[in-house]
Amino acid sequence: MERSPYEIYQIPNLQNPSLIVGWQTQDVGRLGSGVINFLNKKFGGEEVGRIKPVDFFSLGGVRIENDVARVPESKFFACKKNNLLLFKSDEPKDEWYRFLDSVLDVAQYSCKMKDLYTVNGNPSLIPHTWPRRILTVFNHPEFGRDVEKYGLLGMYYEGPPAMSSFLLWVAKRRNIPGASIWVDIPFYLAPLKDPLAQKKVLEFFNQKFNLKIDLRELDLEIRDQNEKIARLREKDSEINRYFNLLESGIGLDGEEQLKLAKQIYELLEKRG
Amino acid sequence: MKVRLFKEPELEKPVLICGWPGIGNIGLITVDTLRIRVSAEEFGEIESWDFFYPRKIKIEEGLLVDLEFPSNKFYFKNLLENDLIFFIGEEQPRGDQKAYRISESVLDVAINFGCQRIFTSGAAVAPIHHQMKPRVWAVPNKGYLIDEVRRYENTVLMSDIEGRGDQGYITGLNGLLIGMAKERGLEAICLMGEIPLYIPHSLPYPKASKSVLEVLTKILGIKIDLSRLEKWAQETEKRIEEFYQQIPTEMKERIERLIKTEEKPFTEEDRKRFVKEVEEFLKRSKEDGEVPL
Repeated sequence: MERSPYEIYQIPNLQNPSLIVGWQTQDVGRLGSGVINFLNKKFGGEEVGRIKPVDFFSLGGVRIENDVARVPESKFFACKKNNLLLFKSDEPKDEWYRFLDSVLDVAQYSCKMKDLYTVNGNPSLIPHTWPRRILTVFNHPEFGRDVEKYGLLGMYYEGPPAMSSFLLWVAKRRNIPGASIWVDIPFYLAPLKDPLAQKKVLEFFNQKFNLKIDLRELDLEIRDQNEKIARLREKDSEINRYFNLLESGIGLDGEEQLKLAKQIYELLEKRG
Repeated sequence: MKVRLFKEPELEKPVLICGWPGIGNIGLITVDTLRIRVSAEEFGEIESWDFFYPRKIKIEEGLLVDLEFPSNKFYFKNLLENDLIFFIGEEQPRGDQKAYRISESVLDVAINFGCQRIFTSGAAVAPIHHQMKPRVWAVPNKGYLIDEVRRYENTVLMSDIEGRGDQGYITGLNGLLIGMAKERGLEAICLMGEIPLYIPHSLPYPKASKSVLEVLTKILGIKIDLSRLEKWAQETEKRIEEFYQQIPTEMKERIERLIKTEEKPFTEEDRKRFVKEVEEFLKRSKEDGEVPL
């Protein structure tokens, strides 16, 4: 007998919710997981199910992260009041199609989802002081037009697909409209949390779903991060020069990019 | 997973010929050349997304226009002697279960159209020189086919190959398909063109495909123009010759001795050791900034 690839702990009482997906693998700016965590915290998201890791992840052992053993996770959360279904997951290693199909099986058949959003960071050669673009990919032209009303820009791209794009494609086969949201993240913030990018996505959801989320805590984080970087610029003339170049629209070479990324990582991650 | 047939061609006891990428792309070149030469028509496919990862996406003004997967297509051709079905896959699936399932689907189509005979094609890594004409190693899936195989020109059975006894192993779908065909009562023969063991596996080796095609077309009773394949084989041979001249003398002498069969028998272990030496040589050449091929 073929075992089910997912488990549902409780059928959530949602009325045709929107599904919001955040990947925590290669999570640029920690944006995908950050947005899901934020929404979960604000709306008291309740875990309602999961995709089982067997068949989709390498389970020959466990990964250690920040001194703690960690197994791959793929969890669904329901935010009943706001009618949102959230999915936070590691990206599957194997059987991508079956994994994504299972995600939509849970969301469509058990939760009656109406549409889909994925949240992603896009590493970019911009400084953190610049405004962030939000790009989008959608699987139905009408749905795209609706999303673009909120200032999101349609993307042009040809190349290897991201997991989010594959999910959009699988959703399209089921006639589920969906959009991926891609926010520009300064390359030196790619392995770190980028609160401004998070705020931009949440502002979009605020407008789209009339969520009325208080984003002041993110404003504080943005201010704190900006101040730390500003102090580093004052102290280190070379780093300041790199930022000046980026702010003038001039790119950095590979070595300079690496040096800047390392310094910012030291500043924000190691020294906190 | 689904097999989608766009057409239901009328075929009489067709022969199924299958090709996938592999060492020297010998199987794929063989089957695709034959398909093109007889102008076979596409009539179906196996949906790829269950087996393969997408390799390319196209997005225009935000709209997801297309997601591209490796293709797995069926073609057919009505001929006087034999009707033909071709199955050509752009990739071999990763993992035993997927390989099994895709083979099952191919055989379902074959049986559905009344097919009784299947050919697969691949590579046989062998101690031969690139200037030699590659032989074809043939492995049937039923004992009674051995006598037939012995009558093919330039073809050998496992038991004819020095140091192997009558044993061997066919990796990938070429092997699995003939094995599964046996379970389902279909005759099948895998035809493998010889490729010199010092040639990098990623380099297409049309010379071996030509050998396989000479055998296969004779079995099928058809004639096709192989001049383009011959030209390609000659061009490849020139490049291999240039590479061969860069091989250290000592290694070259060993190759020559192997070819003259002074070092006998050449076992599977010898082959693996020798291939490893050649690979190391290629790696060193790359590190030194020379990329011979």
